Amino acid sequence: MRDLLQATIAIVILCVLLFVAAGQMQSKGNAGSKDTLTIFNWGEYIDTDLIKKFEQETGINVIYETFDSNEAMLTKIQQGGSAYDIAVPSEYTVESMKEDNLLIPLDHTLIPNMKNLNADFLNLSFDPNNEFSLPYFWGTVGIVYNPKLIEDHLTFETWDDLWDESLKRKVFLVDGSREVIGMGLNTIGESLNIKDDEILRQATDKLITLSPNIKAIIGDEITPLMINNEAAVALTWAGQAADMMSENEDLNYAIPKEGTNLWFDNMVIPKTSKNVEGAHKFINFMLDQENAAQNADYVGYSTPNEAAWDIMDPEVITDERFYPNHELRDKLEVYENLGLEWLGKYNEYFLEFKMSLK
Amino acid sequence: MKKLSAASKAYLVLVFAVLYAPILYLIFYSFNSGGNMNNFESFTLEHYQAVFDDSRLIVILINTVIVALLSGLIATVIGTLGAIGIVSIKDKKMRNTLLSLNNVLIVSPDVVIGASFLILFTMIGVKLGFASVLVSHVAFSVPIVVLMVLPKLLEMNTSLIDAARDLGATKRDVLTRVILPYISPGIFAGFFMALTYSLDDFAVTFFVTGNGFSTLSVEIYSMARAGISLTVNAISGLVFAITVLVVIGYYFINQRTKSAMAEGQR
Repeated sequence: MRDLLQATIAIVILCVLLFVAAGQMQSKGNAGSKDTLTIFNWGEYIDTDLIKKFEQETGINVIYETFDSNEAMLTKIQQGGSAYDIAVPSEYTVESMKEDNLLIPLDHTLIPNMKNLNADFLNLSFDPNNEFSLPYFWGTVGIVYNPKLIEDHLTFETWDDLWDESLKRKVFLVDGSREVIGMGLNTIGESLNIKDDEILRQATDKLITLSPNIKAIIGDEITPLMINNEAAVALTWAGQAADMMSENEDLNYAIPKEGTNLWFDNMVIPKTSKNVEGAHKFINFMLDQENAAQNADYVGYSTPNEAAWDIMDPEVITDERFYPNHELRDKLEVYENLGLEWLGKYNEYFLEFKMSLK
Repeated sequence: MKKLSAASKAYLVLVFAVLYAPILYLIFYSFNSGGNMNNFESFTLEHYQAVFDDSRLIVILINTVIVALLSGLIATVIGTLGAIGIVSIKDKKMRNTLLSLNNVLIVSPDVVIGASFLILFTMIGVKLGFASVLVSHVAFSVPIVVLMVLPKLLEMNTSLIDAARDLGATKRDVLTRVILPYISPGIFAGFFMALTYSLDDFAVTFFVTGNGFSTLSVEIYSMARAGISLTVNAISGLVFAITVLVVIGYYFINQRTKSAMAEGQR
């Protein structure tokens, strides 16, 4: 009995000490400010020095939380319970949040730095006139490959290179119906947002002929596999490719010339926001030329901030793999919200393709 | 103890190598200045430095430990009393029903528990944060504690209690001087199980964190999306060190209990 009591007391004392320590560390960060801003962002998706800089400039205390998928973030915002002032969903999630009335319209007069954004990334179909969202980072879907593990003539300037016979059992695909079916649609020159059974059928049939080359359809595990030279070719997002390439210098990324998907992560203000003014300040702060450049430099994804391009390392900006030229950019297509029925069909065709694998 | 044969020794070594190799590999690279886990360049403490420089990360680490300790403690108290309650029920049917209900909670998926807690908390208007995380951790730890304490209670000879009663012990005396000391190994085991469950739970915690309160598992999970950085290695190394310290502490408590028992018998 004495042991039990002693252990209990020891644990309680330890907890109190830790509480005090945590309290001390937290109060050091926000000396005397009552204004707080809660930000909900992807993991490792901001240079934390910028948060400190924002706190110093505005006197607003920032609470920073992270999530790992659009769906997880959406669940927490829908349920309430925590008041997020800023969230960073991808474009299709922006669309569904808009439909569910979860967003507060942006007051553009409070965001003068909007002028820094490149016009190509504004006023897109998922949010006309950027009423609710402004782009944070963007990228493409493309092919990451390891030239040392495949034959020389393959550069993936065209999607057809994936069908090359030398790639038997060497191709990895991301486990996403829109990405994979989209690739099929791209190869037959159709829109990624097509709603036509006939054409989806054709795209799927074309994909099925790829099946001898496919090694696996997997998720985020592609990153370590490619880094450790265990895989040769993978269909993936540019951001993930950038992460891989920073770890393994052999790797290369290509956007096939037929075009592909263009994706965005966007800053929005959820309905739950308790500091709408501060949220606008933060969006404006992140769109500042210097801050955007610093953030892009840290995160390694492509920034839509045209002004920032002027002061970033020219080598990065002229890298057409991550900042494709205007001509190619015209061929990129943003996913539209297909609606449940058509999304279901895309999933069905994807499933059929998966089942065709041997 | 009998001497182990060479084969069984080799087998033991193999098992432990498999268990510990990944952790040691991870910790080894947390000292790598190269910035990745491909090849070891030279020794550095910069990743640990990065963890300590990031006060947000340290607060999260401390939060994780507080939640684990407190939820472990509370769950142990509730679970122990619950186990005693279940054992004291005479009606066999009732007892089995309660036990099954307890086991259902152990096997039910974390995601379901997490989502239902999120719905519950938002419905009754509890602000997500420390309290919600603590409550849900206590909730999923209680059934485990019950399960750890129960075998000790069942193996206890009931005539011990009868004897104590005959010698004039009150109900309270029976509990504090007979039952609790006898089952204390089970209680400690339950506490440490609850502690580890709380430390590594991601699914439930993800749903109920909010308002700036987060735990390591949630944080590491979202960090890992951008590839495992060596900062993650460094935190994992720290957590592993803390765990080792706790286990050593547990060992000493055990030793003391044993020597105290031996003294009592003399």
